[in-house]
Amino acid sequence: MAKPDEFKPDSPSENPKTEVDDENGDDGYEEEEEEETEEHELDEEEDDEPEPQLRGRIPQSAVRMQQAKLQGLFQRLQTQTVPLRVHDVLIKGNTKTKDYLIESEAALFKNCTTMQQILEVSRAVNFRLQALEIFDSVKITLDSGPPELPGTSNVIVEVQEAKSPLSGEIGAYTKAEARSSTVEGTLKFKNIFGHGDLWDGSFAYGWDNLAELSAGVHFPRFRGASFPLDVRAFLLSQDWLQFSSFKERSMGLSVALLSSTNHDLVYNLGWRTLTDPSQLASRSVRMQLGHSLLSSLKYTFKVDRRNSPLRPVRGYAFAATSQIAGLAPDSRCSRFLRQEVDLRYAIPLGILNSALNLGISGGIVFPWGTGFKTLPSPLPDRFFLGGNSSPISSLGGPTTVWGYRTRGLDPTEPRRQLKSNGGDEDAADPGVDFLGGDLAVTAFADLSLDFPLRWFRDRGIHGHIFASAGSLERLTQNAYKDFSLQKFVSSFRTSVGAGIVVPIQPFRLELNYYYMLKKFEHDRGKPRFGVTFSM
Amino acid sequence: MEESRDGGWTLVTRKPYFGLPTACPVCLPVYIYLKFGRCPFNLELNSSYPDSDQIPYIEGGTYVAYNNEKGGVIQQLKQDGVVDLDSEFSSLPEWVSMKAMMSSWLADAITYELWLGSGENSAKQIYYSDLPWVIGKVLFVKQVYDVKQRFHISKQNAEKKEEEIHDCAKAAYRALSAKLGEQDFLFESRPTSLDADLVGHVLFILQALPEDSVLRTAVLEHENLIRYAERHRNDILNSDPSSASASNFQPPPSAAQTSSSSKPKRKPKREKTEEEKRFQRKAKYFIGAQLAAVLLFLSLLGSSSKVDIDEDDED
Repeated sequence: MAKPDEFKPDSPSENPKTEVDDENGDDGYEEEEEEETEEHELDEEEDDEPEPQLRGRIPQSAVRMQQAKLQGLFQRLQTQTVPLRVHDVLIKGNTKTKDYLIESEAALFKNCTTMQQILEVSRAVNFRLQALEIFDSVKITLDSGPPELPGTSNVIVEVQEAKSPLSGEIGAYTKAEARSSTVEGTLKFKNIFGHGDLWDGSFAYGWDNLAELSAGVHFPRFRGASFPLDVRAFLLSQDWLQFSSFKERSMGLSVALLSSTNHDLVYNLGWRTLTDPSQLASRSVRMQLGHSLLSSLKYTFKVDRRNSPLRPVRGYAFAATSQIAGLAPDSRCSRFLRQEVDLRYAIPLGILNSALNLGISGGIVFPWGTGFKTLPSPLPDRFFLGGNSSPISSLGGPTTVWGYRTRGLDPTEPRRQLKSNGGDEDAADPGVDFLGGDLAVTAFADLSLDFPLRWFRDRGIHGHIFASAGSLERLTQNAYKDFSLQKFVSSFRTSVGAGIVVPIQPFRLELNYYYMLKKFEHDRGKPRFGVTFSM
Repeated sequence: MEESRDGGWTLVTRKPYFGLPTACPVCLPVYIYLKFGRCPFNLELNSSYPDSDQIPYIEGGTYVAYNNEKGGVIQQLKQDGVVDLDSEFSSLPEWVSMKAMMSSWLADAITYELWLGSGENSAKQIYYSDLPWVIGKVLFVKQVYDVKQRFHISKQNAEKKEEEIHDCAKAAYRALSAKLGEQDFLFESRPTSLDADLVGHVLFILQALPEDSVLRTAVLEHENLIRYAERHRNDILNSDPSSASASNFQPPPSAAQTSSSSKPKRKPKREKTEEEKRFQRKAKYFIGAQLAAVLLFLSLLGSSSKVDIDEDDED
């Protein structure tokens, strides 16, 4: 502790060190206050006793002045702006991790001009360093700056690198190359080269018969860049035999070039193979079987200002995804343009925490290049409507019309007819293939409200009444010449329903009853109870 | 890709090259067979699936005859009564033995020459020229490996195997040349599937394989085979499939039109049996029981967490 005659209230840099240790997630600033309070209390207790021999050298009045000044300092910290700059950031404890990584995360200190800002930034920097997943603990301490520079302080960032570089997790994710949410298990190797690099191998299984094996590396700041870099090699298999008589196998590389809260830019290079082991595919699917090379850039802009994605009561969300495929010197690779748009809006109604959620999603895909008017769009990149996910929480383009089963909307095409072994009679009807559309639009309206019982309200369980509509249309292979807006609008299928929503973080479980107001012959949907599961 | 606009039969093959309507040695005999049978058909190309054993295939409406089923496309066309040129000869021992010779010795010779012999460049042109370079390269290497596995070829026995295959092919050419003589066709004066196989084989060797090919040199020794193939090539390439008389077997009524937006239709409701009604009732009870279980679980979860919080408070 500084001597009383050296204490200057206007230069808190000469105060004792202030630790901001978030190892336990607590606010170190508050701990320091408690410690000082305890010290202050201890000092007060000591005042009642005869002063010890050591303290006998410091007059009691000087001690009281010291305490008063400290109290005044903390009061000023709470009520007034205490000017303080950061002179230097010192890094300790990193034997493997490169200094630049920690320095770049701690760069926010440079702009601090007050003590309060420094304490706030300390909290943020601590969080960001913990988020790198390569440290067991992070301790940030404020120390006095050089005596020749009053009004400055040094920040000491002390890290303890993870003892074990290996970790495993199981969770639910949405990755760049995946088309839907997945449940996956991951094995991670941390910080092998000291650049905060995270190497992982993972296996994922998605709701729409998707299985993916991938390995990747994540650099939080690759070569000093301000954004992270993700590179993944993947082997993906998706089984659509039941719906469209084909299996998709894809292997390649995915590079996340830009990833922030609102923006995502991903480059995909993949070898895609469509096969039909059942040999029952319809003509349109048979024409697309084979190999193709996909080299594409996908940009996503997303802003979500809703209070909660699981139960939005107010706010809006907007997402737009643009994909251009065919970015390769080889003109024989797959070439198309794909655009998706999502808009959600939640209007609070004020009674029983009710809200009206409105949403509209649209998408279009079209080939480009020589002879594009007569070329079909790639089958895996078309839009398919139907499934067991809720359109409220997802912002992934037009995918769902409540009540319709996975890939359950026209257009369809009859599958290959087999002759039975008995003779000339035809075998059982093999069904139809769902071909998807080049243009898709979905819309919904959902009224959610709390139940009157408190038991439900406490658990977030609420009810909802909804209506949805959607349609698909083909535009490629000169089909756009027959397109008319009136015909498209008249082709919308509609459904209504009601149900109970059970939010189980991070999932949204819906138990609904659906009723189809309008459906076409081959649409797979009928009045029924159903469960929707989304995240 | 050319589309068939007028219904009827469509033959899907690999791309044309080397002056042939389809340069694939497996697809060409099927093409010739349909021409011999005066069966009108449209030709479509598939360049994206070189390693598929389904191609060539013929389709008409919802009927499809793949090459990897029931002995091949030609066999299925015969069985289904579309085009049957072998009805009078298929039981002859001579016919059977020649068929076996062509489908084994000559087919193996073509396969070896394409993938392991001098026909490597031809193979790349026929199968991979429309695919991106990387994919074509990998598939070619894989195919070469598969062919080596099929013939059990290793470094030790490569030369011996090559000699065996070429010797068999030369023996087959001698036999076929002797059988053919100066006739128009192998059996009487009517084309059969054997003629389609042989014409396709010879034309492919003459036009698709390089001049230093062993098979080409062997075929050129038999002038009657050359004349026979050239004669039929002119007939095949000059004939117009649309002017040929329709075969007796028509494809099933075309239901291949894509079902697009149409007026909403209702499926006629059929009466539910007693068993179906009982099953539906049970299904409803089951769903209700599941719902109750979920709610019970959530309530227990909530109450247990409340007990935990209370215990923590007491601590």
